[in-house]
Order: sequence, then C-alpha cells, then structure tokens
Amino acid sequence: MNSLSDALLVASSGMEAQSARLRHVAENIANTDTPGYRRKLITFQTEMLRRDAPAAVATGPIRLDQTDLEEIYDPSNPLADDTGHYDGSNVNLLVEIADAREASRSYEANLKMFEQVRQMSSALIDLLRR
Amino acid sequence: MQLNPSLVAERYAATRSATAPQPGLGAEARLGQAADSFAQTLRTSEETAMAAMTSGADPHALVQALTQTELAVETAVTVRNKVVEAYQEILRMPV
Repeated sequence: MNSLSDALLVASSGMEAQSARLRHVAENIANTDTPGYRRKLITFQTEMLRRDAPAAVATGPIRLDQTDLEEIYDPSNPLADDTGHYDGSNVNLLVEIADAREASRSYEANLKMFEQVRQMSSALIDLLRR
Repeated sequence: MQLNPSLVAERYAATRSATAPQPGLGAEARLGQAADSFAQTLRTSEETAMAAMTSGADPHALVQALTQTELAVETAVTVRNKVVEAYQEILRMPV
C-alpha cells in the first residue's frame, strides 16, 4: 500500500472515531433526565495493526464521569429519600453541546483530508493522460 | 454426445489455472502481482459494499474502500491507455 491510500485509511478511521464520540454525546443528552445516570466519557487511542502501519485512531474503553449526581427535590417521586431528594443525572447540556460541536469540527477536518488525498491521487494519475 | 457436468467443471478449472499468472521474479511476475493486488482491492470493496448494504456495516469503511477502488481502476485504465498508445505508435513507424 502506498502512503496516499494509507492516508485515506487514517482519515476514515478519524471519521469513524468522531462519529462514535457523537453517538455517546447523543446517549448523554437522551439520558439527561434519567435518575442516577452518569455521563459517558469517550477515550481515543492510537491503533497500529503492524509495526510499519499508519497510526490510525480508535476509540478506547468508555469511562463514566464520577462527579456528583444532581440532587433533585421532589417528595412525590417514588425514588425520593426521607428528605425528599433523589439523585438525577450529572449531564450538563452545555458541555454536551460543546462536545458535539467539537466532534463535528474534527469530522470536517478529517473529511477535508480525505478529499485532499483523493484530489492529489487523481491529479497524479492525470499526468499520464497527456 | 452426453456431457458430464463434473467433467466440464474440471476442464473449466484446468483452463482457468492456465491463465493465472506464474510466480516468478521477472517483469511479468511483477505485472501479475499488480493485477493480483488490483483484483484484491476490487474484491475488498465489493465485500465492504455488500456488508454495508445488508448488515449496516460502517459507512466510512464503505466510502474508503470505494474511493480506493475508484483510484485503482483509474490507474489501471490510464496505464492500459498508455500501453495501447505506445503499441499504436510502434505500428505507425515507417519501415
């Protein structure tokens, strides 16, 4: 495999990782009102299949955010304790939206790389057509 | 004359192997390797496309495989055109 097709592989692995990240953001936002839900944090790691292979990116194990859960006062809720409080989720919508925007920008960057590599390969082959 | 299907298949397989590139070290072997890797690229892309359509595999892999195939086909066609052009150039040579 030449370096141009390796670059295609790496760019597509980046896009895959960013879409996985967006999926976890969607899970966090969907579970904002779930009692006891801890937001998921995605990790990235370099993936090399062989020693001379290109360094693609892969998603690592999921970690749970260990910050305190939000205490919600609602005595009528069946989950409420003696003081009338129950544990909500620790999802902060503002943080999630910022994370989603960052994933989107990173995806765009990988997409641009993909387009660039493709354009370069086509231009090289076009030289033979003259 | 009655045809035996298994015999026909055997003959067909024997003919096919005659057209396969011979392993060696010359320029022909390298050309054969190039053709092999081209066929491999096409096969991978077909498999990925089928997996994406039937079992909802990753679309990024599909796009990547298809782009690689597109580039490979483009290269093969361009090289072939160049070879044909060179051959015609030789034919036009005044004797």
